[in-house]
Amino acid sequence: MGTERKVNNRRKFFQTSAALVGGTLLYALIKPFEALAQPKEEEIKTDQANLALWGMGVDLEKCIGCGKCAEACKIENKVPKEPFYFRTWVEQYTVKNDGTVKIESPNGGIGGLKQSVPDEEIFKSFMVPKLCNHCTKAPCVQACPVGATYISPDGVVLVDETYCIGCSYCIQACPYGARFMNPITKVADKCTFCYHRISEGLQPACVEVCPTDARIFGDLRDKESDLVKFLQVNPTQVLKPHLNTHSRVFYNALSSEVK
Amino acid sequence: MPKLIFRLFLTFIVFVGIFILIQKLLTPESFGEYGHYRANSLDDNKMRTSFYKGDAKCTECHQDVYDLRETDVHSGVRCESCHSPKIDATTDCKVMPPIVKGTNKFCAECHATNPARLKKGVPQLDFKEHYVKQNCIECHNPHAPWELKEK
Repeated sequence: MGTERKVNNRRKFFQTSAALVGGTLLYALIKPFEALAQPKEEEIKTDQANLALWGMGVDLEKCIGCGKCAEACKIENKVPKEPFYFRTWVEQYTVKNDGTVKIESPNGGIGGLKQSVPDEEIFKSFMVPKLCNHCTKAPCVQACPVGATYISPDGVVLVDETYCIGCSYCIQACPYGARFMNPITKVADKCTFCYHRISEGLQPACVEVCPTDARIFGDLRDKESDLVKFLQVNPTQVLKPHLNTHSRVFYNALSSEVK
Repeated sequence: MPKLIFRLFLTFIVFVGIFILIQKLLTPESFGEYGHYRANSLDDNKMRTSFYKGDAKCTECHQDVYDLRETDVHSGVRCESCHSPKIDATTDCKVMPPIVKGTNKFCAECHATNPARLKKGVPQLDFKEHYVKQNCIECHNPHAPWELKEK
């Protein structure tokens, strides 16, 4: 009796083992759930390799803080002149001799920035144009509860104005303060890299008007583009790299004071 | 199958059916084509009207001014950097010409002294010292600033 039981147990063990191993092998061979799974990131990349991947370079060594970009952005995108909302703006950073930093941006820099600190107190002073950083891992896109903000296949963070419910979660999520609630349309508004212009082959309005060519716009996938050349020549940095947003706006000559 | 279980099963199927129907009705057209968003929204964003036309459009009428600008230090500055458009790009700009009054304040936007502008190749001056009572354009041609006008 005891022997029979042992044999039965052993037979059962071998049967189960064979079924498990066979099943695993069969699964690996036919992969029945492959179609249901989300496409892998690498596959998406090869799919979109023929599309552009837009980005911008900002050369702080060239920016003179004239505010033409902020003005042009307001005209091009019909951003209300007042209250003071901006899709792009210019900040003047002043590091004083005692080490304190003063950041000012009256009217977003429109009309030209003026230094308010007397000359003898200034250690260094520089301009920083700001805009949406078009993050690869955008916190605003993750925060949106309805899918009204998204990253387009060519790498631009856009807002679906007809679908946005105006909850302003994205505005709180943005670490760069690049979003605002448009008082006219009552939906979230932000820099689109002038998506209507770049899809026609034009430059964004701020790049178009910059008198010193401090802004460089281009396709990161095109090795011949001005932007790729700018990135090759200059040691660039993104804003707030510790947040792991992988943004696509690259600053040359960025000081550590810039937040 | 017992009647009770069958009824429960039927109710379950009906609920799932209603859920799928509601989801279908509420999901907008083209949602999820590229990702968790409306694919048609890309076209909405592309459809906006632009205002800035670019130098190519300006030179259709003003080739002479363009050629003059290219001869002097303002050659890197685009037309619309100063002449910001007042009307959208599809409309003829003659309807609302982008005239700039060459006031000192306007020139000062770029050329006023600012410590952050030093060593950037843009000439700066103190507008409280340099010919205070005159407009810049009385002496300087804005398209060719170093062709000084005779007074």
